[in-house]
Amino acid sequence: MDGMSSPALQQFIEQEKQRAVMNEMVSKLTDACWDKCITSAPGSKFSSSESSCLTNCAQRYMDMSLIIMKRFQSMN
Amino acid sequence: MDFSSPSSGSSSSASQPSPEVFMDQLKSQLAQAYAEEFLETVRGKCFTKCITKPGTSMSGSESSCVSRCVDRYIEATGIVSRALFSQQR
Repeated sequence: MDGMSSPALQQFIEQEKQRAVMNEMVSKLTDACWDKCITSAPGSKFSSSESSCLTNCAQRYMDMSLIIMKRFQSMN
Repeated sequence: MDFSSPSSGSSSSASQPSPEVFMDQLKSQLAQAYAEEFLETVRGKCFTKCITKPGTSMSGSESSCVSRCVDRYIEATGIVSRALFSQQR
C-alpha cells in the first residue's frame, strides 16, 4: 500500500498550500500597512486611528487587487 | 526544508515514513519556517522604528520600544488577518 499517495495526504497538502497562500497574504499586507499606518514609535496600545487604518489598508488592498485584475483582463 | 526521506533506492516500505509521521514532520517544519520569517520581518520593522540612532549601547527607551514594537506587530498581524478573512458582516 502506497501511503504517500493516500487521499488523506493529498488533502493535507492541499490544505497546507492554501494556508501558505493566506499566510503570505497576511504577512505581506501587515508589512505594507504597518509602514503606512504606524508612523510614530509604537506605543503600548494602538490608537483607534492606527487600528482602523490597518483594517482599511488591508481591505483597500483587496479592492485594489480586484481593479488591477479587471484592468488586465480588459487589455489585449 | 529538509525532506530527508530515504531516497536511496526503493527499498522496504519500513524505511518510508507513514503518512501520519510525514504530515507531522511537514507541519512542524512549516510552522518553524513561518515563525522564522515572521521573526525576521519583526526584526526589520522594529529596528527601523526603535533603533533610529544606534549608540554605543542599547538604551532603556530603545529596548522598551522594541518590546512594544513586537507586541504591536503581532497585534497588527491579527488586525490585518481579521480585516481580510472576516470582513463585511
